[in-house]
Amino acid sequence: MYHLELILILISFSIATLLCLVCKNRRIIEVSSLIASGVALLGSIIISLQVARFGAYAPFSFLSVDALGAVVMLIIAFVGVAATVYSVEYLRQETAKNIIGFSGVSHLHSRVREYFILLNLFMMMLFLAITVSSPIFAWIFIEATTLSTVFLISFYNKPSAIEGAWKYLIINSIGILLAFFGTLLFFSSTGSLANNGLISWNLLAANAANIDPLIIKIAFIFIFIGYGTKVGFAPMHTWKPDAYSKAPAPIGALFSGALLPAAFAIILKFKIITDAAVGPSFSQNLFIIFGLLSIAIAAAIIFVARNYKRLLAYSSIENAGIMAIGFGFGGLGVFAAMLHMIYHSFIKSALFFSSGNFLLKYYSAKIASVKGAINVIPVTAILFLTGFFAITGAPPFGIFFTKIFILSTGIKEHLFIVAAVIVLMFIVFIGFLKHATAMIFGQSSPDITPEKENIWLLLPPIALIALALLLSFYIPPFLYALLGDIAVHY
Amino acid sequence: MDILFLKFLLEIFFLTIVFLHISKKNLDAVWAYTVQSLVIVVVLFDSFLQTHNISLLFITLLVLIVKVILAPVFFARLIRKNELIFSVSTYLNVPITLIVLAVFCVMAFSDIFSPLTGIISANQELLSLALSAMFLSLFLIINRKSALSQIVGILSLENSIVAFAIFAGLEQSFGLQIGILFDISVWLIIATVFMSMIYAHFGSLDVTSMKKLKD
Repeated sequence: MYHLELILILISFSIATLLCLVCKNRRIIEVSSLIASGVALLGSIIISLQVARFGAYAPFSFLSVDALGAVVMLIIAFVGVAATVYSVEYLRQETAKNIIGFSGVSHLHSRVREYFILLNLFMMMLFLAITVSSPIFAWIFIEATTLSTVFLISFYNKPSAIEGAWKYLIINSIGILLAFFGTLLFFSSTGSLANNGLISWNLLAANAANIDPLIIKIAFIFIFIGYGTKVGFAPMHTWKPDAYSKAPAPIGALFSGALLPAAFAIILKFKIITDAAVGPSFSQNLFIIFGLLSIAIAAAIIFVARNYKRLLAYSSIENAGIMAIGFGFGGLGVFAAMLHMIYHSFIKSALFFSSGNFLLKYYSAKIASVKGAINVIPVTAILFLTGFFAITGAPPFGIFFTKIFILSTGIKEHLFIVAAVIVLMFIVFIGFLKHATAMIFGQSSPDITPEKENIWLLLPPIALIALALLLSFYIPPFLYALLGDIAVHY
Repeated sequence: MDILFLKFLLEIFFLTIVFLHISKKNLDAVWAYTVQSLVIVVVLFDSFLQTHNISLLFITLLVLIVKVILAPVFFARLIRKNELIFSVSTYLNVPITLIVLAVFCVMAFSDIFSPLTGIISANQELLSLALSAMFLSLFLIINRKSALSQIVGILSLENSIVAFAIFAGLEQSFGLQIGILFDISVWLIIATVFMSMIYAHFGSLDVTSMKKLKD
């Protein structure tokens, strides 16, 4: 039997992109994008089931999916389908409320087309980045995610959006070039062009022992800084609040919920090669240092945040730090960090969708402009509040357990780091709570009247939060097997 | 090609980056980048002469078209269209900039990076020079206030990495090189479009004039 699921996913995104390019009918553009994301979700589930049952899925020599790839694929697919469903209604509402600047119907259609072309390309690049078997191809596709999203950040064509997009382009391009250099250094182990030039992850791992330990250490630092820029680890995080706050809400959700795990996965793939060559302590220390720094920076800034989308960006930096600490501690911490990645992607995406609903109602991303949301858009307000509790690790949400597991793993060997992380997480909680309560409760402005909320703007965040809650109590056996496999190998 | 000649070429490459740091006119910077890319083309052509690998010749031609012809043409058109004769200044003045460049060079030639520059011991000096070029390009992006200089800095960093890879024997296969070059071409187009957008919105390519995100 041929395994064509992955090819089908890539073909469906290609067709959707082409249809968006050639068709002027908005409904065709929307439906083709929805079908593509649906196919991707179905294909990802099938592939993940196969990987859990039979091990690595490698239909062709240039594509392969291991347990880590399968979990990240699932995350991208779920967040992707939610973001596409949300995008359809979100763009319609923005059009109706004249938020998307346009100078005529034809110009408006071209903006919507542009959005969906780039969205489909972005999704396709994400799938390719985590499924290609060559580290250099993975680099090409991660770089392509920058190129496909930069115009999505500048989508509203305002000076601040251009500035955010420029920062994103420059900082990520530097990061990605450093990652390119790091990748090339890893290739010094393989000597001449092995396997007709296609140096795979497996070939690199097999040759790990041949690399000079000093070279591999320097190479991994370049990789960590390079792809870490894409993840948003401090101090390379500076593009993140700007890009997240200026991009349309569904794109912010994809950045935080899909791009972050994809870039993280690439670092992890290099981590196992580094660990094989120089032992795990070198990479683990890097994860701990950058993780702690990220949580500290987020904690310091979250308190004084004035824009709720920037607040979510800093929360993403904090959670990337927590995941890094989990991988740094190793053992059970790895299992918990992967679960944390899943929960974070779903909940943070739901929070971004809620932020989109706030923006549609209040026409402002400033925290001070949003008051008494519980009376104006009650379902969104409850979703945002639930998301806040979930993302900061309040029980019964899974993030509460993953944080406990990560910290308990490190308490023996890294007591002071664990203590520092607990203090910083508490600061983040208080800071986030201050902003969330200010937005949800209080007296809303008399100009803002309550209105019936659109079901299609509520369903995606509700579905993602429900999924995160479900996974907090029940992890399906196939997912458990995949996470167990990752914990053993990474 | 003689190692001395390769060293001479790499020295020209290195000097173009030093020139990029001190040049005052945008068009001069574009010329420096063109010369730098031409050096890469010559080195790649030398590799072709040694290996007789026809795909390498194809890559050399593509690099020539993208980096030596198209990129400078894009930039020159942008400069002429918007009359951007003079480059925006640097954060550090020229004497301090030159001192920083010297420190980076010492670092690249020091023992700290000897594991990298010693990948092929016969090419240690060339690799140290390529590594210096990388550091200097990175510093160019940080130190310059002009969006155009930042773009040229990134392209120069990419050229430096390519130079390092060639002398360290880390070149990639034909397909991968095409992929990388395609990526860079798309990046180049996007960056050029963005520069036009920045000029249209801010009336200047000075990145310090972009202060809309500070609210």
